[in-house]
Amino acid sequence: MKSYFLSDQNLSAFVEGLMSKYPVIAPVAKRSRFVFEKLVDASELRLDYDTTILPPKKVFFPAKQDLIHFDQHGFTCCIDPTEQVLLGAHPHDIKGIAMSDIFYSDRHCDNNYMANRKATTIIGSSVQNHYKHAFFGTMNAERPLTGHDLFMTAIEGGFAVDVVTERGEALLPLGTFEPATEAQVAAAVEVNRKAEEDCPEKLNGTAEEIREKVRTSFKSPVWEAFAEKCFSCGSCNIVCCTCYCFDVQDEWNVDGVSGSRFRLWDACLTREFSEVTSPGGSENFREERGERYRHRFMRKAAYLNEQLGGPACTGCGRCSGACTANIANPTTVINKLLEQ
Amino acid sequence: MSCSCTTETESLFLPQVAEIIDAKMITATEKHFTLKLQNGERFDYAPGQIVEAGLFGYGEVPLGLASSPTNGTSFDLVVRVLGKVTKALVGLEKGDVMTIRGPLGNGFPVEEFTGKDVLIVAGGIGLCPVRSMIEYILHHRDDFGRFTLFFGAKTPSDLLFEEDLEAWRCESCMHYMDTVDTPDAAWKGNVGVITTLFEKTEEITPDTRVIICGPPIMYKFVIAELDKLGVARSNIYVDLERRMKCGVGKCGHCQINDKYVCMDGPVFRYSDIQTLEEAI
Repeated sequence: MKSYFLSDQNLSAFVEGLMSKYPVIAPVAKRSRFVFEKLVDASELRLDYDTTILPPKKVFFPAKQDLIHFDQHGFTCCIDPTEQVLLGAHPHDIKGIAMSDIFYSDRHCDNNYMANRKATTIIGSSVQNHYKHAFFGTMNAERPLTGHDLFMTAIEGGFAVDVVTERGEALLPLGTFEPATEAQVAAAVEVNRKAEEDCPEKLNGTAEEIREKVRTSFKSPVWEAFAEKCFSCGSCNIVCCTCYCFDVQDEWNVDGVSGSRFRLWDACLTREFSEVTSPGGSENFREERGERYRHRFMRKAAYLNEQLGGPACTGCGRCSGACTANIANPTTVINKLLEQ
Repeated sequence: MSCSCTTETESLFLPQVAEIIDAKMITATEKHFTLKLQNGERFDYAPGQIVEAGLFGYGEVPLGLASSPTNGTSFDLVVRVLGKVTKALVGLEKGDVMTIRGPLGNGFPVEEFTGKDVLIVAGGIGLCPVRSMIEYILHHRDDFGRFTLFFGAKTPSDLLFEEDLEAWRCESCMHYMDTVDTPDAAWKGNVGVITTLFEKTEEITPDTRVIICGPPIMYKFVIAELDKLGVARSNIYVDLERRMKCGVGKCGHCQINDKYVCMDGPVFRYSDIQTLEEAI
């Protein structure tokens, strides 16, 4: 792998170079937190962010995505990707994107997602500050980091930049890079190792242990015990890197003859999610909060674990932070199950 | 209607257009549609498969195909008025169009039924998806053993496919039995829940292949009867229903534990799902 050094002084010029050719989506400050947003000015970039409110999945799978536009004459599909750069994704978020790529391409290829994904060049960046709920050092830490094109690690005086793909390499002429020294490459390895080690929260158990233990805990009272406090709000789903469920709805335009069919992020923790209409009312296949709460954990830790070879979790900790009832923290729940 | 999509960027959500060649209300709330693809192509599917039927501006609903693919180029769907989308669909008449995505999911494993006695147990609107298999069996009658159909409805006015029922009653190559929960003055047939039909026939042998489709509450009672008769659970197939939004294993709405009804079903071998708590 080729490695280069980008000095702190040259960062802005590189970002401006990227912005001159592509829309650049990157972490920027929003009040006391950070969000992935299209950069308007290179100075907005905050590679020292701890986490973003929403994961970068929104770059490929926006919270509301048009699928079909229709009018009285016919209908057209809305796959119209823009070549863009996602800058500053943390390693665990990149792993989340790689997992989503599998979900969306498995069995039926979902081009409404994949087209946006294929049109996006990803420049990862090292974790400089930890989100207080992060546990990526012990969740899928062994999982290979793939799916990105360049990776920037903050080291003394600038960044060690690893070239992962030719597509990433093609961006280098937009900045001033010099070959990285062996010491700089070694320093980057250490920075990323330390970032994993310094995660404030820790998960016990290997991918297999988690899969087996969670699967066999289907009837455990643990689910109900936690879910008792659940508001069924679905915040844990919405902020999750690997939650990809959605609802599909139609909407008329004001003209009354045209409109759109679109998908919206949906959440299996909400009561409506598993509801079906029946004569005179509805039936719900996951009526109880405990059933819905369990379903999400089962899906992440057991069902998708089988497909991915590891839990569908990146250890980003966003769910822990988003949960009003403070019951979503995967380390608390899974560690408790592992103890039993 | 036409679509400007190219295959490279083809969306899973892009439907085909189907023209309604016949439409009639068959109960107070159910409308029977016969359709043809507008592009003239044959709509090819297996009995038991589903489609997402839709109307732009309203949405899509998952429906079981209600006719056998051996019927020629047309296919049937039955829509029950329940919500916004079905209300809009039921408003359509002959000559109108609706959109179709599919066929989706796995149908009945016809080869498992070949040469065997077959029992189909249908409750209410559950008759619609299994009608695809009933017609299929009648079109290939020599390929199957004894064929029994149980149909249960709430009242006589909820009995679907009146013409079919008349024909099936007279059909010598099948044994059709029905029952209603609540009779009216004119009703002279069986009264009681569908499981009471088991007492009225000696034809169900342990080696019978069984299909069940009906309201969620019905399955476990029918399966209890089949257990008593010694029918292996691996020979029982259940046709399940969920509110699938995508139909292609993405949206998550139809998940039963780690199974997707739209991808792994809607037809499941009962022994494969009997331990799944959220299945039926």
